[in-house]
Amino acid sequence: MRPQRTINRWATGLAAAAVALAVSGAAAQAEPQRGGTLNSTLWPEPPGIVIGINLNAPTLLPSTKIFEGLLTYDFQLNPQPMLAESWEVSEDGLTYTFNLRDDVTWHDGEPFTSQDVVYTLTEFIPEVHARSRPTFARAKVEAPDDHTVVLTLEEPYGPLIRSFDAIGAPIVPEHVYAGSDIRENPVNRSPIGTGPFKFSEWKSGEYIHLVRNDDYYLDGRPYLDEIYYRFIPDSASRALALETGQVQLATQNDIELVDLGRLEAMPHLEVTTKGWEWGAPISWLEMNHRREPFGDVRFRKAVMYALDHAFIRDNIFFGYAKVPTGPIHSSSPFYTDDVVTYEHDPDKARALLDEMGLTPDGDGVRAEIGLLGLPYGELWDRLSQYIKQALGEVGVEVTLEASDVAGWGSRIANWDVDMSTTYLTTLSDPALGVARSYITDNQKKGVLFTNTAGYSNPEVDRLFAEAASEPNHEKRLEMYHEVQKIIADEVALAWLAELQWPTVHDAKLKNVVRNGLGPNDNFAEAYFEQ
Amino acid sequence: MSFLKRFAENRGALLGLVILAAIVFVALAAPVLSPTDPWATQGRPLLPPGSDFVLGTDMLGRDVLAGIIHGARISLWIGVLSTVVAVVIGVSIGALAGFFGGWVDDVLVRVVEFFQTIPSFIFAILLVAILTPGLTSIVVAIAVVTWPPIARLARSEFMSLRSREFVEAAVLSGVSRGRIMLAEVLPNAVSPLIVMGSLMIATAILTESALSFLGLGDPNRISWGYMIGAARTVFRQAWWLSVFPGLAIVLTVLAINLVGEGLNDALNPHLKGRIGLER
Amino acid sequence: MRQLGFLVGWLVKALVVVLAITILNFLLIRLAPGDPAIVMAGEAGAADERFLAQIRSDFGLDRPLLVQLGIYLKNVLTLDLGQSYRNQRAVVDMLFERLPATLLLTGSAYLFALVFGPLLGAIAAMKARTVYDSALMVVALFFYATPIFWVGLLLILVFSVQLGWLPPFGMQSLIPVEGTLARTLDILRHLILPAVTLGLFYVAVYVRLTRASMLETATLDYVKTARAKGLPEWRVATAHILRTALLPIITFAGLQAGHLVGGAIVVETVFAWPGIGRLAFDALFQRDYNLLLGVFLLSALMVVFFNMVTDILLRVADPRIGSRA
Repeated sequence: MRPQRTINRWATGLAAAAVALAVSGAAAQAEPQRGGTLNSTLWPEPPGIVIGINLNAPTLLPSTKIFEGLLTYDFQLNPQPMLAESWEVSEDGLTYTFNLRDDVTWHDGEPFTSQDVVYTLTEFIPEVHARSRPTFARAKVEAPDDHTVVLTLEEPYGPLIRSFDAIGAPIVPEHVYAGSDIRENPVNRSPIGTGPFKFSEWKSGEYIHLVRNDDYYLDGRPYLDEIYYRFIPDSASRALALETGQVQLATQNDIELVDLGRLEAMPHLEVTTKGWEWGAPISWLEMNHRREPFGDVRFRKAVMYALDHAFIRDNIFFGYAKVPTGPIHSSSPFYTDDVVTYEHDPDKARALLDEMGLTPDGDGVRAEIGLLGLPYGELWDRLSQYIKQALGEVGVEVTLEASDVAGWGSRIANWDVDMSTTYLTTLSDPALGVARSYITDNQKKGVLFTNTAGYSNPEVDRLFAEAASEPNHEKRLEMYHEVQKIIADEVALAWLAELQWPTVHDAKLKNVVRNGLGPNDNFAEAYFEQ
Repeated sequence: MSFLKRFAENRGALLGLVILAAIVFVALAAPVLSPTDPWATQGRPLLPPGSDFVLGTDMLGRDVLAGIIHGARISLWIGVLSTVVAVVIGVSIGALAGFFGGWVDDVLVRVVEFFQTIPSFIFAILLVAILTPGLTSIVVAIAVVTWPPIARLARSEFMSLRSREFVEAAVLSGVSRGRIMLAEVLPNAVSPLIVMGSLMIATAILTESALSFLGLGDPNRISWGYMIGAARTVFRQAWWLSVFPGLAIVLTVLAINLVGEGLNDALNPHLKGRIGLER
Repeated sequence: MRQLGFLVGWLVKALVVVLAITILNFLLIRLAPGDPAIVMAGEAGAADERFLAQIRSDFGLDRPLLVQLGIYLKNVLTLDLGQSYRNQRAVVDMLFERLPATLLLTGSAYLFALVFGPLLGAIAAMKARTVYDSALMVVALFFYATPIFWVGLLLILVFSVQLGWLPPFGMQSLIPVEGTLARTLDILRHLILPAVTLGLFYVAVYVRLTRASMLETATLDYVKTARAKGLPEWRVATAHILRTALLPIITFAGLQAGHLVGGAIVVETVFAWPGIGRLAFDALFQRDYNLLLGVFLLSALMVVFFNMVTDILLRVADPRIGSRA
């Protein structure tokens, strides 16, 4: 079923009907209602709101309401229709054919056609969208008619089908951008998209205001009249604003985890950790394999045994985390838990260190190393302090190194560090978000979020490379399971926590998190229960 | 004798001395008073004061009292060290300017004025960030922003002493300039400098606490300012995390100020509270 | 004519100082470790050299240091402080956007301190060595010895968390209230706690300064003469002592005015006040060079400006100063 699949409007319609039946059988679901203003927090104020030109997290939240992708993805990251009502992937995995909706118009009234898609994939993305540039560089893009787009590949590329969301490939209007300097185009401050909400106003230091797109192609949608994304610089004020009902939505890092218990207990608020499946962030302790003693797998294993992952989950992340088992996030369809795991066992850690010849000196110190913590605030400071203490217990003396964000990034990118903490989104497909941290030829000095640890294993390189271009899903699964086993066994990185970013919303606000994009969905279906 | 008597007459100064002595004792005896690592988890997180922990525990279950005891070391150490550095810089520059006068004085006065024009706290923040936060960078930053008043004081003292007879006599008898400055002039200028220096320790402790509060402290050493800053996100739920370290700062700074004022009254009654006012 | 010469001299001096500060800050920040381009590229999820190179050339980070300095100085002269890396907006715009909030906060705190400080100080001096004096001085010493941020946290705990009287954060309600009057009142309510926090320290300073200065003046000959003439004590205090005693207060107030922005950093952080101080702090952690330089330049300009105002005021208050210079 997987590689070659055709989904059309009717099929999804049937599926939706089945879901609706199942739900109505359980409880009388209220009809979605029109109207209402949604106030959401947004912090920090984004530098811009055109995805691609900017890819910072705060850019995405408002921008995904304005721009849409050809597809979107459910919680299991299966593709769902958006601007493309159906699609087909050829048996050999080389040809992707998208049938576009014919009832879509841009916010300025111009009709949406296949030319816009071609422009986006061949001009816009290669010019500005640094993350998706390599993905679409593999494809030849053609438009046989106004509502069909065909992508042709030289060799199969597994992650491609998961690359058409509004974040990875936001479709932009050709008639606005063609022939202009994309980055300098004045329209970037008041963007034009196809989404259910139109840009209205950006009041610097205060809010971004979106209003309902009355000509949206789905009947009766969106339900909300307008959305305000309000910039509130202090996490305590954001929590307070949720408590008092001044805002109805906050997500990602907007709320300090320590406040969540209090908010969750309030009857008018709901907290969910679903909806970040496409991002799937994992935090880890990165050890520089180029330096001793980190090059020795026994040392890295000792570190894993020395850390109490349950303590980290419960006391640092206040329960809003899962214990990771390896490089792939447990919400990913490619995940397996069939790997070596590391229970908290300081004695095992000491034994491994003894075996390496790292015996305690007079003060009980076996090794002295530095730790450069992610300077993202107090939670990450506590994480560093915990690591220092846990490793100290097995005789590894850790010196904490302070830094600002720029210094942190430079040192890691230039491999000038012993150990560091970080977190990274592992994205919709291991080839996009996981391989980058482990494969040998992605050791790029001076570039952040590459294989900065310096891990290298030819077998892992081979598996990642073959899995990326393998058209058969089952075979990809096998390879990724194999990769997870090897990497977990070699402790390429000391994974600390799968972050469970919470989304806090007013209990009356429905359909906030309804697929794998969560709060980055277009909110066409979101509504307030009266 | 008269100095001690005058100092002892000031009851505030005596009280300050007693408090300060107690704090110094705590700082010196910290490893004995609280033998465990102040960073180590000791109990359940966020226990209120009273329970097994007199002052409660923080978000990682660390003993707040242990943090305060060990924090005393870093606060006093940074206060004293940065003041010593500032006094050395300030006295050197002030002495040169005051003793030699002329163009040397002109140039050095311009330099001092320039440093007084730089917004000092922002400058300190910048220095710490650039030198990467740590004990050394904090000491350097505080010293760099606090030496100018010392230089001004030293300059005026040296200037007035320069024209005194015993100095003129030494110059005429061919004693080297450096020797005169160190052996003849400095001892006579020292008492106002001691007073100002003692008050600067208090200011330095406050500056260190503000830097640590903003997250620019030495990450390997627990300090009072850091404790307050780290507890900011929970201070509505766990007041004890902010209140007790704050009290420790207030008590220390208060004690040093009282002692400094006592010294001032005892050493040079003419200076009356004119100094140490800039922060 | 002499006044004009004074002004020109001041302007030249101010210009030199500003130039020196600009150069100093520029060099300091550029010599710091850490490459903003790497983080910008990283956060944009764009791990490739091409993007890095583009960011560097967009912001001139790939030019030699001296060339960057030259360009910066030339632009400063035309009031173009460049673009903020992080926000992709003109630094001048961002500064002016935040300036009113900081001026409101520091101005209120300053006013608060200048009213209550000398007043309480004068009372303490007139009642010297009484129980009022001691009580006032103990309180003053307490606030003088207390970290500003801690006072702020305590005030929030008492007046916002416990009593619920005043808002703990921000400059206005999240969803702004309608109407000019209502909006003004809303801002005032938010202003009270941070302004008092920032002001209390300076109140303490002025109380101590005024008392010391007045007691010192009181021993001067002409005051003794006035007393001997049988003038009532309050006339002596106000007409003779306070006027002379004001000089050190004016001097200090003037020197300190320019430094208020620095002091505001901590308070703006505690109260999430959207001013320059907070902007500086954020810019520092993001290594937003141009923005940081802008904040520094602005604060230094304020110091220079207020020093000049102080000089002029002192000349007015005490004409002897002018002839001495």
